[in-house]
Amino acid sequence: MRIAIFFLITFAIARARAETFLIKNATVMTVSKGKIENGSVLVENGKIAAVGHDITAPAHGTVIDATGMFLTPGLIDCHSHTAIEGNVNEGSVSDAAMVNVKDVINPYDVNIYRALAGGLTVSNVLHGSANAIGGQTVVIKLRWGKDAEGMLFAGAVPGIKFALGENPKRQGYPRTIFSGPNARERRYPGTRLGVEDVIREDFTKAKIYQQEWAEYNARIARGENPIPPRRDLQLEPLVEVLEGKRYLHCHSYRSDELLMLMKLSDEIGFKIRTFQHALEAYKVAKEIAARHIGVSTFSDWWSYKIEVVDAIPYNAAICVRKGIVTSLNSDSDELQRHLNYEAAKTMRYGGLTEEEALSLVTLSPAKQLGIDKRVGSIDVGKDADLVLWNKYPLSNYSKAMQVWIDGTKYFDVADDLKARADVAAKKKVLLEKEKARQESDKKKAPSGPKNPKAPGEVL
Amino acid sequence: MKRALAVAVAGLVCAVCVRAAAPSAIAIKDARIVPVSGPDLPRGTVLLRNGLIEDVGPDLTIPADAWVIDGAGLTVYPGFIDGLSTWGVSPPPRPEPAAGSNAASPPRAQGPEDRPEDDAFERAADLMNPSDSRLQMARDAGFTTAAAFPERGIFGGEGAIVDLAGARGRDMVVASPIGQYIALRTRGFAAGFPNSLMGVIAYVRQTYLDLDWYKRANVVYAAHVSGNKRPGYDHYLEALGNSPRVLLPATEAQQIDRMLSFGVELKQPFIIYGLHEAYRRIDELSRSKTPVFVSLKWPAAPKDGDPANVPDYRTLVMRDQAPGVPGLLARAGVSFGFYDDGVDKTADLKKAVRKAIDAGLAQADAIRALTLNVAEIYGVADRMGSIEKGKIANLVVTRGDAFADKTKIEYVFVDGQQFKPSEDEPAKAAGDTAALRTTGAPPALGPQYPAVRAMSDHGVETSVCAIRACE
Amino acid sequence: MIGLANAIRYAALSLLITAAYGDSLVIKNVHVHPVTAPDIENGQVLIVDGKIADVGKKVTGRGAKIIDGHGLDLYPGLINAATNIGLEEIGSLRDTVDLNEIGEFNPQLMARMSFNPSSSHIDVTRSAGVTSVLTLPGSGGGRPGPEATVFYGQGAVMRLDGWTWDDMTVKAGAVLDMNFPVIGNAPPKPFPEMEKEYRKKLDQIADFFENARRYQKAKAAANSDFKPDPRFEAMIPVLEGQRPVFVRAARERAIKEAVAFADRQKIKIIIAGPEEIGDTGPLLKARQIPVILGDTLALPLHDDSPYDSRYTLPNEFYKAGVKICFGTFDVQFARNVGFQAAAAVAFGLPYDAAVKGVTINAAEILGVDSQLGSIDKGKLADLILTDGDPLEAKTNIKMEFIDGKQVSLENRQTQLYEKYLNRP
Repeated sequence: MRIAIFFLITFAIARARAETFLIKNATVMTVSKGKIENGSVLVENGKIAAVGHDITAPAHGTVIDATGMFLTPGLIDCHSHTAIEGNVNEGSVSDAAMVNVKDVINPYDVNIYRALAGGLTVSNVLHGSANAIGGQTVVIKLRWGKDAEGMLFAGAVPGIKFALGENPKRQGYPRTIFSGPNARERRYPGTRLGVEDVIREDFTKAKIYQQEWAEYNARIARGENPIPPRRDLQLEPLVEVLEGKRYLHCHSYRSDELLMLMKLSDEIGFKIRTFQHALEAYKVAKEIAARHIGVSTFSDWWSYKIEVVDAIPYNAAICVRKGIVTSLNSDSDELQRHLNYEAAKTMRYGGLTEEEALSLVTLSPAKQLGIDKRVGSIDVGKDADLVLWNKYPLSNYSKAMQVWIDGTKYFDVADDLKARADVAAKKKVLLEKEKARQESDKKKAPSGPKNPKAPGEVL
Repeated sequence: MKRALAVAVAGLVCAVCVRAAAPSAIAIKDARIVPVSGPDLPRGTVLLRNGLIEDVGPDLTIPADAWVIDGAGLTVYPGFIDGLSTWGVSPPPRPEPAAGSNAASPPRAQGPEDRPEDDAFERAADLMNPSDSRLQMARDAGFTTAAAFPERGIFGGEGAIVDLAGARGRDMVVASPIGQYIALRTRGFAAGFPNSLMGVIAYVRQTYLDLDWYKRANVVYAAHVSGNKRPGYDHYLEALGNSPRVLLPATEAQQIDRMLSFGVELKQPFIIYGLHEAYRRIDELSRSKTPVFVSLKWPAAPKDGDPANVPDYRTLVMRDQAPGVPGLLARAGVSFGFYDDGVDKTADLKKAVRKAIDAGLAQADAIRALTLNVAEIYGVADRMGSIEKGKIANLVVTRGDAFADKTKIEYVFVDGQQFKPSEDEPAKAAGDTAALRTTGAPPALGPQYPAVRAMSDHGVETSVCAIRACE
Repeated sequence: MIGLANAIRYAALSLLITAAYGDSLVIKNVHVHPVTAPDIENGQVLIVDGKIADVGKKVTGRGAKIIDGHGLDLYPGLINAATNIGLEEIGSLRDTVDLNEIGEFNPQLMARMSFNPSSSHIDVTRSAGVTSVLTLPGSGGGRPGPEATVFYGQGAVMRLDGWTWDDMTVKAGAVLDMNFPVIGNAPPKPFPEMEKEYRKKLDQIADFFENARRYQKAKAAANSDFKPDPRFEAMIPVLEGQRPVFVRAARERAIKEAVAFADRQKIKIIIAGPEEIGDTGPLLKARQIPVILGDTLALPLHDDSPYDSRYTLPNEFYKAGVKICFGTFDVQFARNVGFQAAAAVAFGLPYDAAVKGVTINAAEILGVDSQLGSIDKGKLADLILTDGDPLEAKTNIKMEFIDGKQVSLENRQTQLYEKYLNRP
């Protein structure tokens, strides 16, 4: 047999570029087509090339024996604020559509790596919820080590964040932290009524803006010499929403506000792609399902504020049962590290099947983000975004061992262990160097006035 | 305290007393000359007259009227240029709050159209204050020139190349405008738009789109007045439109990436300043051909920090590697200079440059980065940055290699005016810009129009006391 | 689909024994996990007067009601060793929160006497298999700096079933809730200055203890002129070693300082909510100071900490020979205490230690092990019947007993679930 087969101990594979490899003897949880015991997955050129039982090992490449282990698609988080440099909210205005999370992706945010180590491979990075109309959003792949450009999920439809309820109206309250000697100026809106008004008004403006450009282009075509309209970065994203070129992801909780936005979207003619959080989606599941809007919710958050008193951990299950494309999201640098544990909760709360539960953090969020042709399940032709787990991934005892994105390994427990020893050693050297620098700085003639303060003297 | 008072009093006394005689020409002879634009002269003469370099060479005939400085054992360099500074710039006065209003701050901005934090129309050239104590501090470190900028807000204002001495503010100005200073800074949550990094970026982006529109709209309007609504007048955009380039901040690697593409997007010539983590982006910088200014405020452990707060690995690497950045940039052929970034003590400035040399920057590259590079980046190499006939007489004369351990700066010439560096840090006199900066108070009336007009331009002073008399 | 919706109801109805089942009860055909002893397959438990009267392969309970466990698993009810249940309803609404009273020294405040027995958190937490909790009067928040709170008051062990807070109290004054001062919690100042401030604060605390001791002596020698003082009165059990101090100390330095403080004051302490172990292991072990861990699923302290540094923390304390148990330090996720223990297992903690960490160890650390924490003769019959490992999210709690009485697994959330699942 001239095939070079490297029966490596499962984790001892050095990080490599997108390579050809075969994972065999794993329990493959495809999410789309059930579970394959003792299954194999072949990866070539960053894509899943074959899935099944008896796949011939590649001529050139690695074979990973995953006996006793579980393989799932990379997990997908439809609501994250990881990797945003600076403030997550442009909270100063009630419509912050002009800002774009894509401008401030920080590929060095260590939370990317930490999430990767929990099996997460794709994040929908969103602006905060301080305004009725928030900033533009971006989908990233957690390609740790690449620059910001290298993180972007090429081809994913960009989004915009809207927010309903308490958060966007909070700056309009006459009391709370906005009173007293350090009073802050109040900002419209201060009620849910006003939130609706802001969205209505700004879509109205966006339509006028759309019209202005249409007229301008028509006049140019007629050979006239009009002054062009001023490009308005605040309105352009809304025009894109109207034209279906940008997804609308809306932070929301209560059923009344969910229904409000749905009715408003019917009236104005825009599409809502997902309701984010939507902890009362279960109350208006019928209306949501009828409009094919996705729901991306929490597993079991509740009681932290008044608009979530009716939040129930059964929300996801009801939405699934009512035919809504449903996902579980993290909204948290911590929670995104174990979305599989979150998914498992829906087996207790609402009795979802294993595949339904796993889909909440894989295929369903992929559908919500319009990237399900590329990721979200283990199917031939899809991106090789894969996670190898030591145990059944819906168990609270499971742990991600290796994670690939586009067929490139970005996390490996064994490499991580090695790297931490390395970093610790390097850090020790750097700390010693720093100490030496400080001492030599002290020894050299002190800068500044000739009577420097005695060391340790309080300035 | 007592000392500071004494110096301040001396300054006042001097202001009305001493006036030394001024030589018509000065010759520094038998010195080692580092012209930067060409090979070093091991032994030569530099002749200064009327604030200009009249000649330089190995065998000059020294005119009879020249005062001669024996340059044996001395080295003459072009005066150092700070790439981005606020030296000498008075903060522009803030608008008075409306009568009856108890809010000290301007009204909360609702978006880019309110032009928050926009001082684009402020011009350093109009704000120069020759009595800023930092001028002496900088001269004492060998700096004769700075690209000076107003620094308030996001659009800080338009910079000018200024020489670091002069009788009046306007006398200091060499070239203006030279660029718009942009800081990606935010105010507090309550201050209005923008209050996030992404907000600031969107704001700058919209402003330059507005500028583009403003220009085009005015062209169309000028040609077709009838039937078109007038584009209106925008104070901020007028200023921005006249600026030859924009300065963008980036310290960390991802910020460098971000600004390299943002600068291109703005369709403006741009400079990046900061650069402490540029050791991770040398290739990208080299490919982009973007000029950069490296901050001399090297990252370091905070003084009096909690010993239990061990910095993280990335921070430690940055503290270790940042001073190596200039050396890497030089080897990669990136056009770079330095800027003080708030370092405001003579010794600290020298020490900061020395750090870069110790970390691998060749002595010659260090001198070039402090002189000709900056002049080239700002397009003023025709008048400064090297020791060449006809250029402005900005020189540093040292005993020993610049920045070597025991080296002393013997003389600094600014516009031909001779200064003897002080052994002491200058005292901060009342009315100093530096002091104003912390209090935020408006500047005292008329530092640009001193009550005592002591002397004509280009006079040569021979004592420290007399220098202060220039005020 | 409807059957699914009614799963819980089915479980309840099909096995339900009416509330008036008399004084004795046998649960048979269950896999018993006593926690303190080896598992008993197909075992039985006899409950008499709310207490466990017998446990084994076969028990004799003449005339007892019988519950068939259908081969399910029987565990002691879970204990969450740090919560604010009963004192906080809606986090963002101050009017519904009774935590962090004004003042630095409030050892006399009693959590149990303001415990709201109608809180929706009680039902929700209970239905996840948590039968008792430590309820604390503080949340670790409050004012930083020199005026930071030191003593929030007394925490109580509460059972999650009953008509009044009095019924629900397992142990009043179980711990004294203390916020250990930290250096540099104030706006940035030079370290020496902050340290000075901190030392001053420690002196203040020492003075308080000194005064409490003077009070204690004066009381012992009491005559009719003695003036009682509720604050110092509340310190007497602490000084006598009867009431451990629940010391909130997250960082290594704070833990060490807290240990030194306990040495000086000769008091019993529990370290609560540590975020790192550093080299405190031997110190804690030598003094047998136990630890109540906060969430395992937490972010590492530093950017360059190993990604799993918080996940492995429980095991690090365990390996160091320190007795550990788990708390969630909140109300919202109090029901998930078992999942926090499970996550520690995923990252090295032996499974038995995790189970003990939400049962018997918690009971021991809180001083209620004579009543709670295991399926042992003589203890209160706080039991959960499950279809698997109670630390796993996918496991269902099928039936639950508190003080031998079967309790409802319904709550506002299950009611809303059924209501809206069946919305036409």
